[in-house]
Amino acid sequence: MNRPMRRVTAFLFVAFAALLLNVTYIQAIATSKYRDSPLNPRVAASITGKERGLIVTADGTVLARSIADPSDPSRFTREYPQGAVYAQVVGYSSLLFGDEGLERAYADELRSRRDLTVSDLIDALMGRDLSPKSLELTLDNALQHAAYDALGDNVGAVVALDPQTGAVLAMASTPSFDPESMLAANAHTLREQLLADPKEPLVNKAIARTYPPASTFKVVVASSAVENGVAGPTTQFNDLAELPLEGSTSSIHNYGNGPCRDGTTVPLDVAFRYSCNTIFAMLGLQVGAPTLYETSLQFGFDAPVGLELSAEESYFPTPNELDGPALAQSSIGERDVKATPLEMAMVASSIAHEGVLMQPYLVSRIVDVSGQTLDQTTPQIRSEVVSSATATVVAQMMEGVVASGTGTRATVPNVRVAGKTGTTDAGSSSQAVWFIGFAPVDNPTIALAVVVLDAGENATGGTVAAPIAGNILNYWLQP
Amino acid sequence: MNRDAEAALLVGAIVIASMGVGLVNLAQGGTIDAQVALTFFVFAAAFGSLHFAVRRWAQHASAFLLPIGSVLSAIGFVEVYRLNPHFAALQRWWLLIAAGIATVLLALLRNSGVAPLRRYRYMFLAAAVGLLMLPMLPTSWSFPLRGVIVNGSRLWTRFTVGPLQLNFQPGEIAKLCLVVFLASYLAERQPTLTASRTVGRFTIPEPRHLIPVVVAWIASFGLLVSQRDLGASLLLFAVFIAMLYVATERTAYLTVGGVMFLGGAIGASMAFPHVARRITAWLHPFSDPADTGYQILQSLFALGSGSLSGSGLGVGTPTRIPAAFTDFIFSAVGEELGLAGTVGVIAAYALLVAVGVGIALRSRDLFRKLLAFGLSFTLGLQTFLIIAGVTRLLPLTGITLPFMSYGGSSLVANFMILALLARISHEEHT
Repeated sequence: MNRPMRRVTAFLFVAFAALLLNVTYIQAIATSKYRDSPLNPRVAASITGKERGLIVTADGTVLARSIADPSDPSRFTREYPQGAVYAQVVGYSSLLFGDEGLERAYADELRSRRDLTVSDLIDALMGRDLSPKSLELTLDNALQHAAYDALGDNVGAVVALDPQTGAVLAMASTPSFDPESMLAANAHTLREQLLADPKEPLVNKAIARTYPPASTFKVVVASSAVENGVAGPTTQFNDLAELPLEGSTSSIHNYGNGPCRDGTTVPLDVAFRYSCNTIFAMLGLQVGAPTLYETSLQFGFDAPVGLELSAEESYFPTPNELDGPALAQSSIGERDVKATPLEMAMVASSIAHEGVLMQPYLVSRIVDVSGQTLDQTTPQIRSEVVSSATATVVAQMMEGVVASGTGTRATVPNVRVAGKTGTTDAGSSSQAVWFIGFAPVDNPTIALAVVVLDAGENATGGTVAAPIAGNILNYWLQP
Repeated sequence: MNRDAEAALLVGAIVIASMGVGLVNLAQGGTIDAQVALTFFVFAAAFGSLHFAVRRWAQHASAFLLPIGSVLSAIGFVEVYRLNPHFAALQRWWLLIAAGIATVLLALLRNSGVAPLRRYRYMFLAAAVGLLMLPMLPTSWSFPLRGVIVNGSRLWTRFTVGPLQLNFQPGEIAKLCLVVFLASYLAERQPTLTASRTVGRFTIPEPRHLIPVVVAWIASFGLLVSQRDLGASLLLFAVFIAMLYVATERTAYLTVGGVMFLGGAIGASMAFPHVARRITAWLHPFSDPADTGYQILQSLFALGSGSLSGSGLGVGTPTRIPAAFTDFIFSAVGEELGLAGTVGVIAAYALLVAVGVGIALRSRDLFRKLLAFGLSFTLGLQTFLIIAGVTRLLPLTGITLPFMSYGGSSLVANFMILALLARISHEEHT
């Protein structure tokens, strides 16, 4: 009788061994399949698990906060009260997808340090404060809303800077998304949809994408020419309808394919005002690749931006990449030249600030739980791009653009506005229309760049981007 | 191992229970409070009384039984406390009652041993049948004993005395009575049941001896139909077949039983939507995660989230698992104690089965042998079925995890198994 008993028991032990293998599989091998499943309620709960610090604007508007769960005070829900308006800048904090935006850049400061990691433990023993820290941003809530609303249904971005300090006053990117939706239980599906959207709602187009700056780059070319004595505002140029490019089958045309003005000669300031392509291509060739390259570097091209958020580098080709045709095409902001909206705002800001480019920044202060400042950003000069005299000359030319040129729709009543429009060539890889500018001209308090993508076949910087800039400037300058 | 080592191990289990309660309190932001002391005293009283009962009336009993039972009870209790302190408070009472009943059982058998159980076998059979029928009592009548339907299954009986209400699952005790009956019946009929006849090349049991098999199969199937209790019907049928096989050494019973089980299972899955649902949930848990697959997925999520070392007691969210403190207690332990906890628990059950079967193997008396084996096998198979169910190794069958699940009837039945095994192992040394 013992033999069948042993057999049955052996069978039972094989079954127990199967149990051991099975739990080992679930808990040690295929763990992530269950632990990280979007259906696992712990995933959604853990997203909002710990307390994080506040993120507020310069005027004290709350952009991100942690609210304690009424049923469990040790758990917190992360809220983004301003929703889509700041979505790409503030980002979100999610264990599912990781942190994004400032939530990512300042994860260490914002997080509660009561996780009992080794470093936290040491800090706790040293008596250091472990509560999460808060961020105060340079953004102005009303201006941010104005920028976001002005973009409306367009796909595009706006960056507004304080030219005196480099503080980012507004940074909007459309279309946007609700960051709180990334913390919801169905976040996986939602994020898939957002990622698949060709309009890239999750991307901060103000800093994370580069576009051909088109004619707004003429500000850089004009600055380089004036600074280096190649030409002045009254220097006359032949108003060619077409500029054939030596060593290339292509040629430079003006917008509309005719002569820019009357076909005779045009002074540089008028050519700037009406954005004459053939003249600026000639001017670029006269300035020469090394000098133009040098100036573009001063404006911030080909270098990391140094913003708190990770931003794309804007690109201007090196002199040995620039043969004649390439230089001519680059001088009107086409071909390989690529810029982020932030970079073009920096260009406008440099001219506004007497040729001095201030380092842009988003976070003005880091504050501890008691409101005490732990770290404060002091404005810093990034580069002295051109002389104050050059800046004044270029500013005057830019004022002409808004007063009577291509950018009249950015006008603000009783305020002198300087600007430059830009419209990419029909043949460009991506269609972008631009307006960059600053105001008031005598004492600039704002410099901005507006870009709108795929705005339509006949859209230009003057008809699409300039009105948006006008709305924003009106809001900022008309109390 | 001697009784002093047993006492030391029991103290360890008592400390696990009370310190576990303390850890849960601390993890949930509370303090070490009276719950810790209360748990300590209840476990000390329950296992203290059992230990002294064994010392006094079964001093030669295996010293492994109580420590394993106590440590499983301790881990289960801490997890029940963590899930629902209200049920934990009731569970403490059940622990005292179960230990009390097991102590009384040891006292009653102190002179006679388990032998008298053998004489009253038909009484046990009647008790088993009666107990299994109890939940079929009308749910609404004035008699103090009535049936209760929980989650669509009719496993519960409610006993009402004035304001006091007591719910219990008679099936748990019935299981025990049936094993006693089978051990006695098979020990008696062993010679005749072994008789066989040859048909061609095959040796088959006498056809009339297959009648009890058919009766057991019908009874199990009836249980499934009337009470929708998949787990208990499978368990009872398997225990019957296993004991029949052990007693007769005829593999034909296994074959016949296996075929009948398969037929029953296939028939049930086709005839009863609730059985079909269990099978769908087992095969395709992700196909309907909010409904059919919900229970098993929540269990797997808990286990997966627990990973190697678990979230820690009181830190996980096992409250997300349906029926976490009863059928799914293993998953809750898996989330908070991780693979370390689940492997430990499975190993403890395996050890308990090994000790129980060891007692059966060493038994000289046929009845004691069959009884010890039947009790150990019941315990082991029940453990396997429910753990396999919550880990998706097999379709889910709703039965309790011995010693760990919340529930008075289960605790009483399993403590009685411990007492009987202790008594049988004692008798082999006298």
